[in-house]
Amino acid sequence: MTMTDRRRDDEGPLAPWFEAGREAAPRPDGDWMARMEALALEEQPAAVSAAVTPPARRGRLRDLLGQIGGWPAMAGLAAACAAGLWIGVASPDGVAQWWPGDTANAGYTTFDPASGFDFAMLEL
Amino acid sequence: MPYDAMSERTEEELLAAYAAGEPAAARALTARLGPRLFGTAMRMLGDRAEAEDVAQEALLRLWRAAPGWREGEAKVSTWCYRVVTNLCIDRIRRRRGRQVGLDDVPEPPDPAPSAAQAMQSRARDAALQAALDALPERQKQAVVLRHLEGLSNPEIAGIMDIGVRAVESLTARGRKALEGLLLGRRAELGYDDD
Repeated sequence: MTMTDRRRDDEGPLAPWFEAGREAAPRPDGDWMARMEALALEEQPAAVSAAVTPPARRGRLRDLLGQIGGWPAMAGLAAACAAGLWIGVASPDGVAQWWPGDTANAGYTTFDPASGFDFAMLEL
Repeated sequence: MPYDAMSERTEEELLAAYAAGEPAAARALTARLGPRLFGTAMRMLGDRAEAEDVAQEALLRLWRAAPGWREGEAKVSTWCYRVVTNLCIDRIRRRRGRQVGLDDVPEPPDPAPSAAQAMQSRARDAALQAALDALPERQKQAVVLRHLEGLSNPEIAGIMDIGVRAVESLTARGRKALEGLLLGRRAELGYDDD
């Protein structure tokens, strides 16, 4: 027995009434349908375009790189670090020629980047 | 996408396409759901203007729910029928106290002599509507969905959020009440001549 047959059995003496009711199902008018279609389009979310490129991911390292001047600056920094490390480890003889103070106590030499004269000139 | 292609898609697929911004999906869903929701509201409320308002509200809620709709959570039609029938029940409750009795239903307008058949059809429909309006709201909801919208008992159970047996009980009681209201008018409405 199909669902429709079972429903008809249930309907019994009311079957002609329901049959008439189904045939005379209320229909909306065209104006209302047009308004509903306009409402659906008005409420519709904007189309998602597949061509839109997602924003590039930004991390802290990328931000830092940007702040110090990008890859060229990073290359210079890396070269300076490598040179400093080499000077420290190899301690080449030539470095002493460039050092103005006592090389024996170089590690303890106080080096004043700005003299009292400089501060006086700056009125500090 | 052409409308014909849209007609092969399920309502759930169409709603996903609607949420993705396909205008054809908006049109297809409106064409598919609008008349059904309006028809149900009309049977529940018996008033065209109110039925239009209620069906519009149900559609609006569907459009606003579309972006967050989770696949497999609910059938679109079940969700819509639930919203529209609940809105109808709210309206019926608000206007309770000024309910129109079966005998108060206006007679259909005078037809042209050639339209006797149409007149009889309208009279039968008006009598059915008046009898439906006399039912308690939950019985009316179950009877309309079962016997006029042609839904299955499990579907109605999902819409009304009750068990299948409770649906069967509601429709049985509704039919019994309708028999009491309508069967005495068989001869008057020409059913004995059919």
